Amino acid sequence: MTSTSSKSARRLPGVTRRTFTGSAIAAAAVAGVAPFNIVRGQAAALKVGVILPKSGPQAFFGQSCQRGIDIAPALLAEMGYNVKLDVTSVDFETNVDLARSRAEKLVNDGAHVLIGPFDSGAAGAIAQVAEQKGVPFMINIAAAPQITEQGYKYVFRNFPTAPMLIGNGLSLMKEFFKATGATPKTAVFMHVNDTFGQASARGVEALFPRLDMPFKILETISYDPAARDLSVEVAKAKASGAEMVMLVSRLNDSILLVREMVKQRFEPMGIISPGSPGMYEEQFFTTLGKFSEYCVTNVPWYNPKSEIAQKVAGAFRKQFPNDRLIGHIFNVGFSFESMMIVADAYQRAKSTNGQALAEALRATKIDKRVMIGGAIQFNEKGQATTIASAALQNRNLEPKVVLPAEAQELKPVFPVPGWNNRG
Amino acid sequence: MSGPRRAAPGGRARVLLGLLLALLMLLPFVVNPYLLSVLTLILYLAYVGQAWNVMMGFAGQLSLGHSLYVGLGAYVSAALFVHYGVPPALGFLAAILVALVFGAAIGFLAFRFGVSGVYFALLTIAFAEFTRIGFDHFDWVGGSGGFFLKVAQRDYNDLVNLRGSPEMFYYLLLAMTAGCFLLCHRLMQSRIGFYWLAIREDQEAAQAVGIDVFRYKMLAVMLSAALASLAGVFTAFFNNNLFPFQIFGIEKSIEIILGPIIGGLGTLFGPILGAFVLTVLAEGLRGTMEALGVVLPGVKQVFYGICLLFVIMFLPHGIWPSLRRRLGLDSDGGR
Repeated sequence: MTSTSSKSARRLPGVTRRTFTGSAIAAAAVAGVAPFNIVRGQAAALKVGVILPKSGPQAFFGQSCQRGIDIAPALLAEMGYNVKLDVTSVDFETNVDLARSRAEKLVNDGAHVLIGPFDSGAAGAIAQVAEQKGVPFMINIAAAPQITEQGYKYVFRNFPTAPMLIGNGLSLMKEFFKATGATPKTAVFMHVNDTFGQASARGVEALFPRLDMPFKILETISYDPAARDLSVEVAKAKASGAEMVMLVSRLNDSILLVREMVKQRFEPMGIISPGSPGMYEEQFFTTLGKFSEYCVTNVPWYNPKSEIAQKVAGAFRKQFPNDRLIGHIFNVGFSFESMMIVADAYQRAKSTNGQALAEALRATKIDKRVMIGGAIQFNEKGQATTIASAALQNRNLEPKVVLPAEAQELKPVFPVPGWNNRG
Repeated sequence: MSGPRRAAPGGRARVLLGLLLALLMLLPFVVNPYLLSVLTLILYLAYVGQAWNVMMGFAGQLSLGHSLYVGLGAYVSAALFVHYGVPPALGFLAAILVALVFGAAIGFLAFRFGVSGVYFALLTIAFAEFTRIGFDHFDWVGGSGGFFLKVAQRDYNDLVNLRGSPEMFYYLLLAMTAGCFLLCHRLMQSRIGFYWLAIREDQEAAQAVGIDVFRYKMLAVMLSAALASLAGVFTAFFNNNLFPFQIFGIEKSIEIILGPIIGGLGTLFGPILGAFVLTVLAEGLRGTMEALGVVLPGVKQVFYGICLLFVIMFLPHGIWPSLRRRLGLDSDGGR
């Protein structure tokens, strides 16, 4: 069937108008039937269906997560998990409708457990399929809190919800100030006005009073993430007289913002993000050089002191020698942990039955993990509650963990040196 | 041509359509859940493709922001259900009303002030985009964090509240697609359909012979918007979660228009055939590559591009007009 299909495809450039329709329908029939006959897997193996956005707007993240999945089977075997994992990965093209269909396909092909999908909308769609079919679904990355509020029995999430992310990020700021012995009294809150930035801003607004933060926000300045000039925004921030900049950014705007701060000689005690991309990314370092130093971001991160994290890092470097770990570790770490949790549950359940696996997942307790936080455990809703954030400070052109203490690579520095005294 | 000869292809078309409908009604009994989900996807794309075809295929008004109406339908019906307990069986009326208002606003702005062609297309994109941004900040429906409908496992199908099995959603979509097909068929044979045709082919000539161009273009936009909003109602209750960037995004609009373009713009059956060909070929291609162990993310998008290229080069009117000729249905009855 496959060869017929490819032969048809090769003939296509030569088709006439008269024959095109016939060929197209024949190809549709042939190609359409082909995938439904796929049979794979062996009796003893746990069939793991992985659903990720490997094309479309989230392609980079999906492919990054896939690296964590790819290194898992060999590494888990090396770590002593005596289970055979038969992994099938599919791409949902960053399209929620397809995510549901892909989940149906994986279950239909015999998947015992689903992992994915780096997207809350897709997670919501897949969760319904998992629940209907009684197939456990392990969410690697997706932050919408509602997913684990639906009363599902087969859905588990090893990732913090959006409020947990912001709450952890703000709480860590207090610890950061305590550790350095310097606390700013005032701050200016600058954030991008896109979907992510607005959601974060709302989170900050809601949690700030509740967490009894030690500083006051003098001004909130939002800006377009695609802006080419942030001189007005930076001037406004400088004029506010705030001692610190709290920033929710994307990559390009964070670069623009720091450049403008250097240009305008705006030297606050520091720039700290309660949890956003940008300042710990590769491009930030390569573009800004010494001016990228000492910026702080609070995000879930891998624990460089953890034995398993070191093994993951080693396996990653071995399998993907051209990729820099720092650019992928967030996605790789959570995706690998998902595989580890599933393998652990299978080892205990000794069965591929959905209900037995779900019960084993609910009883999960894994002390040694990749990411920073307590032992991996799920509450009655299937939500992991012990994932912590790390304070990453840029040092020597790399993000280094400065808090919490158990994962610390370097001591935190605050207030930070002036622009000309860095590097 | 004589009367009987004209009637024959129409009768054949009806028989073929009847057979197709019967086949589609029987399929859920024999296919597995995955194939059912693919069939649902095909019907969804066929339905929204038909809705878009009313505006572009029949009346010649290019919309590249049709996700706007799908999104509005989805959010309105979902919000009424979640906040006020209004079942979608009633909520769809409000969804249609809101889509009509937006369609009317866009149509009025464009047609009253002479915005046409690519500028009209840009206007439709602009409306979809600013609505997306608006919904990003509309906390009542979850803003950018998404709007979730409570999911409950039920032992029965509740059509009023659209809670039930995938089979129920499949049959609902089949009914919608068949209904839309019949509506379009009636419209194409009516005076309105001929006015649209005249406007599409030469607006100035249509105006010269006394057709109220503004009125009939408005009608096309509003009808298309109303139909598309029903697809939104379906999406909301099928997926049970809505995110502005996903439902109002330009990718969604492009997805809507591909089927009719490949199948045959301005034809009745083109959007349905286009949705079928694109989905089955894409799924087939992916499955074949999987079976061969080839991992190439994004290959489907490349494949769609190649399909479009071939259709533009060899079948500029789409697949259906050519297939129709080959099936001997080349008359009004086989449109």
